Amino acid sequence: MATILVIDDSTSLRQVVSIALKGAGYSVIEACDGKDALSKLDGTKINLIISDVNMPNMDGITFLKEARKLPTYKFTPVIMLTTEAGEEKKTEGQAAGARAWVVKPFKPEQMLSAVSKLVAP
Amino acid sequence: MNLDEALDTFVAEAEELLGNMEDALLGMKRGSAAEDAIHAIFRAAHTIKGSAGLFGLDFVVGFTHTAESVLDLVRAGELEMDAAMVELMLEVCDHLGSLISLVRQGDLPDADLQGSASLLTARLQNYLEKNNPPSLPEVEAAGVVSDCWHISLRFGQDVLRYGMDPFSFIRYLGKMGRIVGMHTLTDGIPRLSAMDPESCHLGFEIRFESAADKETIESVFDFVKEDCRIVILAPHSMIEKYRILIEELPEDDMLLGEILVKCGSLTQNELDAALRIQASAPIGEVLVGQGMVRAPVVEAALEKQKQGRDAKAGEVSLIRVDSSKLDRLIDLVGELIIVGSSASLFAQRSGVAELLEITSSMSRMVEEVRDTALSLRMVQIGATFNRFQRVVHDVSRELGKDIRLEIGGAETELDKVVVEKIADPLTHLVRNSMDHGIEPEAARIASGKPACGTLKLNAYHDSGSIVIEVSDDGGGLNREKILKKAIEKGIVAADANLADQEICQLIFEAGFSTADKVSNLSGRGVGMDVVRRNIQDLRGSIELDSVEGQGTTTRIRLPLTLSIIDGCQVAVGKSSYVIPLDMVIECIEFEGGQDEAGQSGYLNLRGEVLPYLRLREYFEVDEAAQKRQNVVVVQYAGRRAGLVVDSLLGELQTVIKPLGRMFGGVKGIGGFTILGSGEVALILDVQRLLQQAEEREQKNSGRNLTIMEESRS
Repeated sequence: MATILVIDDSTSLRQVVSIALKGAGYSVIEACDGKDALSKLDGTKINLIISDVNMPNMDGITFLKEARKLPTYKFTPVIMLTTEAGEEKKTEGQAAGARAWVVKPFKPEQMLSAVSKLVAP
Repeated sequence: MNLDEALDTFVAEAEELLGNMEDALLGMKRGSAAEDAIHAIFRAAHTIKGSAGLFGLDFVVGFTHTAESVLDLVRAGELEMDAAMVELMLEVCDHLGSLISLVRQGDLPDADLQGSASLLTARLQNYLEKNNPPSLPEVEAAGVVSDCWHISLRFGQDVLRYGMDPFSFIRYLGKMGRIVGMHTLTDGIPRLSAMDPESCHLGFEIRFESAADKETIESVFDFVKEDCRIVILAPHSMIEKYRILIEELPEDDMLLGEILVKCGSLTQNELDAALRIQASAPIGEVLVGQGMVRAPVVEAALEKQKQGRDAKAGEVSLIRVDSSKLDRLIDLVGELIIVGSSASLFAQRSGVAELLEITSSMSRMVEEVRDTALSLRMVQIGATFNRFQRVVHDVSRELGKDIRLEIGGAETELDKVVVEKIADPLTHLVRNSMDHGIEPEAARIASGKPACGTLKLNAYHDSGSIVIEVSDDGGGLNREKILKKAIEKGIVAADANLADQEICQLIFEAGFSTADKVSNLSGRGVGMDVVRRNIQDLRGSIELDSVEGQGTTTRIRLPLTLSIIDGCQVAVGKSSYVIPLDMVIECIEFEGGQDEAGQSGYLNLRGEVLPYLRLREYFEVDEAAQKRQNVVVVQYAGRRAGLVVDSLLGELQTVIKPLGRMFGGVKGIGGFTILGSGEVALILDVQRLLQQAEEREQKNSGRNLTIMEESRS
């Protein structure tokens, strides 16, 4: 089963995304910000990371840069969550190698389809 | 975990965010750091919109979207957050609040709300001068025979490094239709010695049968479109388009042509035609072209984001826990304390040294567990106080008075339940002070006060209770007016002889109001008595100090915790009683007075007069008094008195159990607890005992007694 790490500072968003992903047959790990997420990258097999950009403690882009330094997670696909308002963030994120973006607000189905482009359950 | 629970979380989260947003807006109004505030405001709107979208709450998303767009322009420095916009955003905040409460109830907005939403949206739109680029219509024309899509993919070298697996997209594509033919291009792979295994060198030519439209097919490759050359040709595309495709791609034209034929996208004839045109064709238009963003723009954006990140570092991380779980934990800790104290008791009786040592360290641990468990329920009152910035802001506008709110003791902690229940009475007191307490500007200037009125909210701990003060620098209470009104309303007898302090407390009586005119905010005479009842329900008390011409201070006194306290165990006859330890000041020997009859009297405490109450007589214990008796000196709300008991049994942790309904009328008892021995001890309600001692003394002696006021040093 594919495991997905969901990182967002909004508990409710994480909950809904988890419910949707679990329903589609993925297994889910949650983290509330970049720092928390990094602590979860301890060698566990993670097939996909979904991360918000705008978060306290450590934002998504810094997190991505840090995660790419870890050999285990060098090639893990990452979906970044952003708003249409976050254009400048997107440029910064792209420089850091983030290519998959999902625009908030999204419906659970939209998230599922983005996820299934990158990993099968 | 189900969606309903997640929705509850969303509502709680949104309310908190709206609180932050409001604080930040009011902060900006008072001129605090604009940069941080704008980020906080934007983030609140942003997060609410993001989460609301997930729940399909389109009415929240739609409304928030416009506000967010405006805020984004502010954040980007393209718009300025002026006073008018702060007011507008406060209204937006309120409207969102009502939308969120609808979500809580599971309702949809009614016509009224929709009306105000569109008004607000229109005002927000004024700020927006964004023009959306028009989307280009797709022109399709008949062409080649093939009735399938043709997709030509050349993955960028870095896709693997970005975590993208080329095959995953093809697999996903397979879900949208049928891949009729596919050819993998491996020509790009360099010789083994030169190959970097982390780079991707693959390309694909795919013939794809699907009912999906071009946009949908394109969306499959959204995540890699920046790094890949993707050409999607519709069924029956013009041969010209294939020609351009062949020309644009890096592979050898002949080879690529053959691949297209192999896939079935082109027939041999079509290929020949295409290659023929190519020979004489002008340079084809670029099919895929990504505009580069100008470098200075990017740098400015990066700089701005960095500042935003720095601002976020100070935020606190929190865990949300169901409060019923905490209640359960505290119940269990209570049981643990009871069991622990019986263990200690039996250890003492057994006299085994090791056992005693273990039980004593255990009870120390239990005490720590208790304190930690109780502190979980504690929240700082600051958040509640800060909400009043808004109340004061709104009410002062409404009344046309200029009033400033000062907050003290924001870090004082008290039980979450108490905080929630205190908000309403507090609001009433604040409004009351603003409406009746603080005079209109002209009157203030006439009496030599600053034109701007000051309202203070303060909180502090005092002998086991928490005190919340609402004070204003207004006109104070007019005692004559109050007394006259009270007599008029039949609350007190016309010939009553009342102390100043007592006259002030009259305003807490039901049906009392001295305001000459009833205003929108207060003055209906319902309220102050309701406030008092609310406070009493929390085992607290309320009192009022007023100096005419200088202002009024209302003091709410609440117990710190609701369920577990440290107690001082005393005995009268064979029964045990517990006095909350926080209220105990000292214990002394009761000298003399044994022969005197009666329940109460005075004794000399190091030169001060101390009224006392004999519990033996008060509770009508029949057994004969012991020779030696003790006095426990207690203090509550600045008043002191002595309680005369037989013996002092020591300190103990006390779990307060409520008395059954049958004993509801028993005065002087606040609850009971179970001792280690399994016996029951009654917990004294010190506040009521003090009151009764006072009343009784007044009746007995027939004089107006004021129990000595403690001078705060």
